[in-house]
Amino acid sequence: MFERFTQEARQVVVQAQAEATVLRHDRIGTEHLLLGLVGQDSPTAAVLARHGLTRGTVLEAVTTLRGDLDAEALTTLGIDLDAVRERVESAFGPGALDEPPGRHGATASGRVPFNPRAKKVLELSLREALALKHRHIADGHIALGLLREGEGLAMKVLHDRGIDPAELRRDITAALDA
Amino acid sequence: MADTEQVASAASSKDPTVGLRAVRSLRTLVERLEALQVGNAREQGWTWEQIALLLGVSRQAVHKKYASGRGPLRRRD
Repeated sequence: MFERFTQEARQVVVQAQAEATVLRHDRIGTEHLLLGLVGQDSPTAAVLARHGLTRGTVLEAVTTLRGDLDAEALTTLGIDLDAVRERVESAFGPGALDEPPGRHGATASGRVPFNPRAKKVLELSLREALALKHRHIADGHIALGLLREGEGLAMKVLHDRGIDPAELRRDITAALDA
Repeated sequence: MADTEQVASAASSKDPTVGLRAVRSLRTLVERLEALQVGNAREQGWTWEQIALLLGVSRQAVHKKYASGRGPLRRRD
């Protein structure tokens, strides 16, 4: 399936992986795909931005929803999260400050695996491309896959921002056809 | 991220979004540190009473929060 991905679509997946790693999340979820999508320089990203979805707004929503430590917000208080982490880890070991998920982190290869919902989104992106009779899977098709899947943290972010999924779908489809 | 200029401007900002996010993050940080320290104290054989005393809360409060809750501390009780 990945061989049909356009450069942007590949980049979305790569960036989703990077976002999950930086946020110290142990799985790539729909929220990381959304972060990957808004991080592109593409018509789809432009549509998402018009609906209020930028890297800043999405990142803030995701850290809030997940109850994550927000290094940027702590910086505004003069707290260097990295310094705190370093000290805590020197006493209690690596990952001591992370939320105890009771699960494993990245796999042996150092790659963060996809959770089932994010996997489903990528599968659906292929179906979206086929339905539109497009030969390639672009980042827009991943966005449509997200909307089709309909659940997960990415949809929660959309919902909380009062974004109408049907309207967003229409705008993304239009941008794909442009 | 830890740009001094940014810190200075954010600290002096009266934007509630900035301030509230910072407070929320600080609370999360405190929660994580508390769980870590309570777990460590229990592993070293401290009683709930001793832990509560240093945390400035009641024994019941700390016991309720960590003894029956979720997370790695649960298995100890």
